[in-house]
Amino acid sequence: MRHVHPISIRHLTRRFPPARKGGPERIALDRVSLDIHAGEVHGLLGPNGAGKTTLCKILSTVLLPTSGTATIYGFDVVTQARSVRPLIGLVFGGERGLYSRLTARQNLRYWAALYRVPRRQVTDRVETLLARLGLAERAHERVETWSRGMKQRLHLARGLIGDPKVMILDEPTAGMDPVAAREFRGLVRELRGEGRTLLITTHDMAEAEAVCDRVTLIDGGRLLRTEDPRTIGRWVSAHERVDAADVPEPILSNLESLPGVARVERLSRGAVRIHTSVEGATATVLRTLLDAGVTRVATTEPSLEEVYLHVVGNRGMRV
Amino acid sequence: MRVLLAAARLQLATFRRSPDDLMVLLTVPLFTPIFLVIAKHAGRLDLAPYAVLAPGIIAMLSMALNTSGEIIERDRWGGTFELTLATPARLPVIVLGRVATVTLASLLGIAESWLVAYLMFGIAVPVLHPGAFVLTLTATAIATAGTAVVFAAVFVWTRSARTFQNSLSYPLLLLGGALVPVALLPEPLHPISRAVYLSWAADLLRASLAPGPVSALWPRLGIVVGLGAVGYVIGFALLRWVIHRARTTGKVGYA
Amino acid sequence: MSAGRGVAGRRRAAVELAPQRGPQPAAAAGANAVLAAGRRFRNILTVLRFAAATGFADFGTMFTWRSWTIGWLSRVLCQVTFFALIGRLLGAPEAVRYLLIGNAVLIAVLESAFVVASTTWERRAGTLPLLIAAPTSPVLVFCGRSVQWIASGTASASVALFVLSPLFGVALPMPQALVAVPLIGLVSLSAYCLGLVLAGLVLRVMQLRNVVGNVTWMVIALLAGVQVPVTFWPAWVQAASAVLPARNGLAGIRALLDGDGVGAVCSAAGLEALVAVGWLAVAGLIFRHLAEQGRRDGSIEFVD
Repeated sequence: MRHVHPISIRHLTRRFPPARKGGPERIALDRVSLDIHAGEVHGLLGPNGAGKTTLCKILSTVLLPTSGTATIYGFDVVTQARSVRPLIGLVFGGERGLYSRLTARQNLRYWAALYRVPRRQVTDRVETLLARLGLAERAHERVETWSRGMKQRLHLARGLIGDPKVMILDEPTAGMDPVAAREFRGLVRELRGEGRTLLITTHDMAEAEAVCDRVTLIDGGRLLRTEDPRTIGRWVSAHERVDAADVPEPILSNLESLPGVARVERLSRGAVRIHTSVEGATATVLRTLLDAGVTRVATTEPSLEEVYLHVVGNRGMRV
Repeated sequence: MRVLLAAARLQLATFRRSPDDLMVLLTVPLFTPIFLVIAKHAGRLDLAPYAVLAPGIIAMLSMALNTSGEIIERDRWGGTFELTLATPARLPVIVLGRVATVTLASLLGIAESWLVAYLMFGIAVPVLHPGAFVLTLTATAIATAGTAVVFAAVFVWTRSARTFQNSLSYPLLLLGGALVPVALLPEPLHPISRAVYLSWAADLLRASLAPGPVSALWPRLGIVVGLGAVGYVIGFALLRWVIHRARTTGKVGYA
Repeated sequence: MSAGRGVAGRRRAAVELAPQRGPQPAAAAGANAVLAAGRRFRNILTVLRFAAATGFADFGTMFTWRSWTIGWLSRVLCQVTFFALIGRLLGAPEAVRYLLIGNAVLIAVLESAFVVASTTWERRAGTLPLLIAAPTSPVLVFCGRSVQWIASGTASASVALFVLSPLFGVALPMPQALVAVPLIGLVSLSAYCLGLVLAGLVLRVMQLRNVVGNVTWMVIALLAGVQVPVTFWPAWVQAASAVLPARNGLAGIRALLDGDGVGAVCSAAGLEALVAVGWLAVAGLIFRHLAEQGRRDGSIEFVD
């Protein structure tokens, strides 16, 4: 049996004509290739203008690529768009994308009709989604009276109305408060548990680390790297670092000359970060610090945020 | 078919809560007295049918321009246009469902005008040829919907849709002979006005209110429907072009 | 706001202390009062000027010369034609004259009625709380904010009158007919003042702005002698419509164009000016009340 990826992208390129005459063409996506596995929650991380939304639009058949291919369960998004659309649930963040003068129920019933949900199942599905997302109590109110967080949950309900196998969430937690964002992450895990494949674009590092199986960094339309968020730190430095605070000066120079220590980085407020370059050097560093009476120590790996800042800020990739 | 009904329901729900869209139905009861007092003051109450019909026609055209015309543009502003493109449903069907709903609602203007004439002036304009009247109204509604599809597509295209909306209303009412029959317009304008479905429809409606037989009913109805059909053809072609443009350039209009 | 900014980072408000003065002789006190009034008046003019500049800038984004002429002016001409043609339908040349003049002037009223909508833009822009927090009265800003409609309305109504009259065979006595232009401006101004009153009332229910604007000009079209003389209406309606803008001004314009005496024209103009001032005063009260109410019930939003 041939294995078909839910999302498969090959050399996808999207160029936009220049904003002014004679200006440069804008390359939103540059030969992007990526496979997303079934049941995976895949994060797409990058700064504004990196091409994340463009990729989402192409995958959901709203935008055509300039060249390259993308398939959803083997169906080409350009030539077989009709077959692609029932398979995808699209979720935007923010205030737009809802009929604000209508109630939640009216909104969902409308989209249910557009997604050809069998008539007999519509009421059931709408009510289930409203209940699941905690919107049932206010489902009779006009959406324009709702808070940001509730609107976001309605976006998610709308994305689920067609019972899609693949979901594309474009900055779904933009503007959410931490509590709402945490609830959202719980929902994402539930969706993954249902066997759906999710592609999430985000700026939120905590969210990406907490929820995503793999993360792809994208910048300037180019894919930089795809990695498990927990191991992505290796991209920045191959080995562990030791963070310490209140380290006396003479000890610092000792540390610098220890074998296996690549460099000692001074952070803010008197904290230091000791980068190691050899396996086992960490133990030596820790012992040195503890012997010197330094008790505030931690061994860390680079976080996703650091990787992001390093890579996107073009500050180099390895220590 | 299901999508058509869903779109119609959406439009009905949206517009019930939109004073701007319903506004046209509020201005009909002001147009009717304006036209009637002019007729009454001149001692020409024989023109009462003209005066009572015109506000209804104005209502149909205004709603086609202002409400139907803005269907896609409002979706674009609200962020739902792209979401619609991502669904299995087809945009022309959705637009048709919504435009048809608006057009049907605008027919209320005709009833309103009759009611106001009776309540304010005690004038009850008899419909002397009810069959012809109903048939012509139906044909007019169909043709208006077709024209409205063109408006919806064009207004999402241009930067200053509102200027167009404001500038098309009275010229069309003039060329369409909404109140004053086109025969009274200067000669050079006659060929242009004959290309506007409204001129045939208005003449027929007035004829169905007048004593004496309605001449050439079926051929004239055919012209109204035919001109309306041209609207559908152009409108749907423009819609396909709008969708194509949205998918290839990422922008919907020139706005 | 990072916690590290501290007191030093905050800008200090400049506080000017009035110089201490001893008791003054009466004449000097009187002169000071006059100077203060003069300063206040100049300040009012400045605020009005800037508000008007905002309004004209808004207008500039909506229209270019080309789009105003092709888009707006053509509609205006068609609208006046639509009504003037009714005269032809009636088969009465006097009716053509009556309707043409009336509906041309009506255009000035129609455009002034846009103030109801454009005032709400101030609320939409979120500047309302800022205006209230400022020392100058927000009333002035609202007054000046939409004056571009007076200019546009006067221009389009005048063009309609002078371009369409020859086309319809309506004779206008030149050159005195040109006095109609400032009279149209006066009508536009008094309609604007009524519009301000309605704008103030509608500010709380913004979704009604277009409805109210349209109903206003249509009621004036019906009752103020635009389509039929005011004497057509029963006495009580005539009495009620006496406070409507355009009723007197239009009568004055008709008197001018019919070659009646200067006296008739001037008294009509005077009455129209009175109507304008009256509505302006009401508008001032309404906006003041609005501001006070808003401060009390918290309806002035920072982000609408």
